[in-house]
Amino acid sequence: MLALAPIGVAWPAPYLPASDAQVLAELPVGARHESAPARELTRSRLDIALPLAQFYVSRARASGDLRYLGYADALLQPWLRQAPVAPAVLVLEATILQSRHAFSAALVQLDLALQAQPDNAQAWLTRATVLRVQGRYTEAMAACVHLASQADAAITDLCRQSVAGLTGNLHAAYAAIAALPRQGLASEARAWRYSELGEMAERLGDDAAAEHWFNEGLQLAPEDFYMRAACADLLLRQARAAETLQLLTGYESMEPMLLRIVIARQLLGDSHGAQDRALLSGAFEVEQQRGEAVHRREQARFLLDIAQQPEEALSAAQDNWRVQREPDDVLILLRSAQAAHHPEAAAAALAFLQQQHLEDVRLEPYRRALR
Amino acid sequence: MRSWKRAAGSLALMLMVSSAALAHVASNGFLVVQVHGQQLSGSIELAVRDVELAIGVDANRDGKVTWGELRAGEPQLMKYVAQHLSLGSQDSDCPVNFQALQVNERVDGNYAWLPFTALCPLAVRQLRIRYSLMDDIDPSHRGLLTLIDGAISQTGVLGGKGAPALFTLDAPSRARAFVDYLQAGIWHIWSGIDHLLFLFSLLLPAVLLRQRGRWEPVPRARPAFFSILKVVTAFTLAHSITLSLAALDVVRLPSRLTESVIAASIVVAALNNIFPLVTENRARIAFAFGLLHGFGFASVLADMGLPHTARLLSLLAFNLGIEAGQLAVVLAVMPVVYAFRSGAIYRRAVMPWGSAVIAALALVWLVQRAFLPTG
Repeated sequence: MLALAPIGVAWPAPYLPASDAQVLAELPVGARHESAPARELTRSRLDIALPLAQFYVSRARASGDLRYLGYADALLQPWLRQAPVAPAVLVLEATILQSRHAFSAALVQLDLALQAQPDNAQAWLTRATVLRVQGRYTEAMAACVHLASQADAAITDLCRQSVAGLTGNLHAAYAAIAALPRQGLASEARAWRYSELGEMAERLGDDAAAEHWFNEGLQLAPEDFYMRAACADLLLRQARAAETLQLLTGYESMEPMLLRIVIARQLLGDSHGAQDRALLSGAFEVEQQRGEAVHRREQARFLLDIAQQPEEALSAAQDNWRVQREPDDVLILLRSAQAAHHPEAAAAALAFLQQQHLEDVRLEPYRRALR
Repeated sequence: MRSWKRAAGSLALMLMVSSAALAHVASNGFLVVQVHGQQLSGSIELAVRDVELAIGVDANRDGKVTWGELRAGEPQLMKYVAQHLSLGSQDSDCPVNFQALQVNERVDGNYAWLPFTALCPLAVRQLRIRYSLMDDIDPSHRGLLTLIDGAISQTGVLGGKGAPALFTLDAPSRARAFVDYLQAGIWHIWSGIDHLLFLFSLLLPAVLLRQRGRWEPVPRARPAFFSILKVVTAFTLAHSITLSLAALDVVRLPSRLTESVIAASIVVAALNNIFPLVTENRARIAFAFGLLHGFGFASVLADMGLPHTARLLSLLAFNLGIEAGQLAVVLAVMPVVYAFRSGAIYRRAVMPWGSAVIAALALVWLVQRAFLPTG
């Protein structure tokens, strides 16, 4: 019977706990049952629903816990059904969709928000981010330009230079962002600046500078797990496995972090990662069954670097490429295409690099090999 | 085989307990539905954390949900699930009855596991599932369905806004059913080591002759071949008869009895190699005990169930699968045994000591199956 259990769904082995005192779950912040009157309040008062939803989105960002996005979404749903929908609700819903990598759906919400409120700075900024992740740089730049009239100059500069750095002006953009005064910036913008600088330095081939920027950034914003993951990737690329493990201690509960931990352990020759590997592949399979692609890039990397199934990795990297086109997405696609001996699968990505003049020294060896 | 299953289960559990990392995944519920004609059985699982959000079980508000707290919320949980999950077949509802709550450990934490049965007015051909668990608390919650009809299973994703989901059961063709049951038969014989050990105990001496109280190698291949053929045919014929009778509900024996007697049959067959009583007509032993092994196969098939659309065909396929799996093993092993039959090692070591090991193993099974409480 065990073998007949479908793949991906672990066969349950339920049991009766021996003691009433056994703790089954520790509830994270905000994950409590709300009484009916409290919930009614979030349906009648936007000034209560919106900050609470914002809190959940920030918890999702900081913890990587996708359930928080659902809680925020639940708070917004009644407000999304009441025409006209408040622009702030649309923008936050777009942020949720973006975090789930549902980029096209996020853009729809942002367009609605901007129709109602053309000078909504947050909407333009989120729009620029989504378009940039999709590799639509001209439109992303246009969104940054719109931002100029509403947001402060430093944010606008960051927005524009981050796009410029992907379209043939990497040196100049890097210098411009480095020259931005640190003082006037809000702490979120300062963290963004550091992570931009770190990634740009890496693409320029200056790993020492990249490490410096990431370290500064993580001191300022230890909860920024995108930056932490980027820093881990930098260390892994230099085969500094022990330092990677140190950096990621305490972050095992996040799938993308666990992936990097398993890769680091593999570099150290630690073969005891079977349960973590099973855990990761199970989580990816469930995600696939749900028809979502939040971690498709990570899945491709798992298949390539851990499971060592280049064909499957290539197929995941191609799926991912249809959704997002950041330099890391190009990297995993080129690496998988080379490992699977399917250079033709990289053609679209290579054309994209050429067309956009995207500079990234990490891509060069694969670019030459696959040409 | 029951002992193998138990061992596999506890191993999986250990791996999960020792894993410190809990992956942060989106909220999922796991629904398993198994169809037996008009009867449905299965389970629904919700994360303990999601149960707290849905009905509030952390009575002392200390941020921890204990088993005692969850259990106190059991009636409320059943009510909540009944409101948000319903099953129907064709045009009518299949009322659901819940059984006692248990806990299941998954990679992202503990889940409340609620088994249930449901009775539909007619045999289910199309299953209708309305699933709205968690939908006002976390709209990204989804129910991951495993729907099992005999050896055929399908998966589905439930929830999100929309109409109830429909799953058609008789969609798999007869060819598909045939292949699935054939595979199930092959897999069963290869994993069910007890049937193979019984057969080996009868086949080990098939390349030897008992003469003046000693084992001598058979001089030629022909008699060995026929001896093997007779044993295998007798075993096959016997278990096919009882498998069919039991699968079609003509005869039923308690599984504890058949499993115990199967273990006993291995002990007897193996001991007979060491202290030979029956040396000529081993095919008769094969036939007599084969009848009991057939009941053993039937209990596996009963666990899986036969699809209502192709009962006889699936039974035939399962039986052919067993024969094919068995034949493959015999064809792989017997030439080796034949080649080594003349050596002293085979007659003085492999035969007696191999048989002794088999007998000892089977004796452990016999004690487990006959005298220990079932797990």
